[in-house]
Amino acid sequence: MSLDIRPTLSALLRNRTGAVLVAAQVAIALAVLANATYIIVQRLETIHRPTGIDENNILVVESAGFTPRFNQTASVQEDLAYLRAAPGVIAATATNSIPLSNGGNNDSLVTRPGTARHGYINDIEVDEQGLDTLGVRLIAGRNFRHQEIQPALTRNDAAHFVPVIIVSRALGEYLFPQQNPLGKQVWDAFDHPATIIGVVDPVMGAFPASDHPERVFFLPRMPDEFIVVRYLVRTQPGERDTVARLIESHLASSNPDRVLNFVRPLSYFKNLSYLGDSSMELYLVTVTALVIAVTSLGVFALATFNVSTRTKQIGTRRAVGARRRDVVQYFMVENGLITSAGVLAGCGLALAAGYWLSVRYALPRLELYYLVGGVVLLWAIGQLAAWQPARRAASVQPSVATRSV
Amino acid sequence: MLTMHDVSKIYRTELIETYALRSFSLEVSAGEFVAITGPSGSGKTTFLNVAGLLEEFDSGSYLLEGQDVRGLSDDVRSRLRNERIGFIFQSFNLIPDLDVYDNVELPLRYRRLSGADRRERIGSALELVGLASRARHMPSQLSGGQQQRVAIARAIAGDPAFLLADEPTGNLDSLMSRQVMDLLEQINDMGTTILLVTHDPELARRAQRNVHLVDGQISDFRVYEPRPAASAGSAGTAGAAHI
Repeated sequence: MSLDIRPTLSALLRNRTGAVLVAAQVAIALAVLANATYIIVQRLETIHRPTGIDENNILVVESAGFTPRFNQTASVQEDLAYLRAAPGVIAATATNSIPLSNGGNNDSLVTRPGTARHGYINDIEVDEQGLDTLGVRLIAGRNFRHQEIQPALTRNDAAHFVPVIIVSRALGEYLFPQQNPLGKQVWDAFDHPATIIGVVDPVMGAFPASDHPERVFFLPRMPDEFIVVRYLVRTQPGERDTVARLIESHLASSNPDRVLNFVRPLSYFKNLSYLGDSSMELYLVTVTALVIAVTSLGVFALATFNVSTRTKQIGTRRAVGARRRDVVQYFMVENGLITSAGVLAGCGLALAAGYWLSVRYALPRLELYYLVGGVVLLWAIGQLAAWQPARRAASVQPSVATRSV
Repeated sequence: MLTMHDVSKIYRTELIETYALRSFSLEVSAGEFVAITGPSGSGKTTFLNVAGLLEEFDSGSYLLEGQDVRGLSDDVRSRLRNERIGFIFQSFNLIPDLDVYDNVELPLRYRRLSGADRRERIGSALELVGLASRARHMPSQLSGGQQQRVAIARAIAGDPAFLLADEPTGNLDSLMSRQVMDLLEQINDMGTTILLVTHDPELARRAQRNVHLVDGQISDFRVYEPRPAASAGSAGTAGAAHI
């Protein structure tokens, strides 16, 4: 079937203002759609990176002593005993930091004492239930033993290190490229040595926004005495909220010398860490949807205008033999040409915008399949928007051709 | 060629019914040039719409080249309009965004003719109306008479069995009117049946037969002497005979 492209195109070129405006709208929409989608997908990938942590079933509890009578060591032991015995709890540990929260402790490790140090590595203090509490998988070596758990640091002994540590696979590969890190020694910022006794993978530390959130190591030590105490509590699936209410009720009144700051799901802290990404995602989705909606309205409005101002033309076409589907086809071809011109210009605009974003904001360069997807989507939306006016045009009676007005 | 028997066409609103054609009967033979006359509102255009399959009718029968057209699908009616009928409108009805060539090509494209066939037919039609050199002109670059000649070229390019002309000189001055009527007579002399709707008795006299309508009914027939074969371009002689 002939699509009558040439006469339709030449008619369009003679009456081009509306068509050019709509094509420009389509071009801008494509540039926004392709780049915004690319950025959204990147953010989503970032948010949904595997953490190795059972994040949906973990609670974070924070308490702080506030009287001179408060004995942190005794309080921690008492709290842990309660938490581990509470119904619905799988494991619990005291810790110095909250995983995935973008807040925590760092240290610098080197593989030879006295050598230059580059950057910091996230460390997380846990006890022998730490790995089980997080749900991370030990892929080599062993877990901490109870007797290996070091006492909390004090104000007089803040530089003390630990004899053994467990590292993430990513950190092991970073410290000892092409080697098995098990049994190897590392030195902390004060050149105190520790031996690597286990490797876990995958795992993400406390700083998901850092360049290498997967480089993390665990220290077998009770939380420092001069900060608040945090507990991580892993519950049976589906029991998290029930357990939260239970332990909040108990811990709030179990020790009059401390205050319970909060009992919150770990996912709360993760969501806070990604709040910027989530907000940006929502913003981009909204803007993109609006741009597409406005573009669809533009296509619809132009097609409707063309139909209403060409009623006599349509009647004449019908009189000289056009079937209803010929009329629909005519308007769909016309709209297809406008949309095609728009997406063609939009490809250039999208690539230019992608390049500018990559240079200005250090984003990865726009991948072409986002552009192809955007072209297909906008073309389809453009045709859908023109469908109803085209159908309306097809309902024009051929007798309109003989009417004087 | 065209046989209407007892055809009625009623326009209805919520309050009233108006008979645009009432028990209308007419037979037109192949090669005839028939003028349909009558005052405004007499049903001339309705007759043309029904005859040209632009509108359905309510009762009666209509045979077009022996085919009963009542109840035909929209597609079949479109095909018949495209292949068997040529239309000439009072205000030319050219597509303003298409040039002369593309305007004449319009019905041929709907017929799905090949490019070569279309080119040949368009060339012949434009040659006949004397506008071959204006093929790439836009309608706005032509005079009214030239535009109507383009419309005639569009109507005859598909080699229809008959032409329906609705006040074809209504928007033209007398010189251009004469040229257009000469052209229609020339086309009629080549064997094409022509039905000319007009309110102008002088133009009607150039037809071989005049059917006068009043209130949707035929009130009068006049038959004129046939034009001499070589006198294409001259007015028909009024040897009026009332029937």
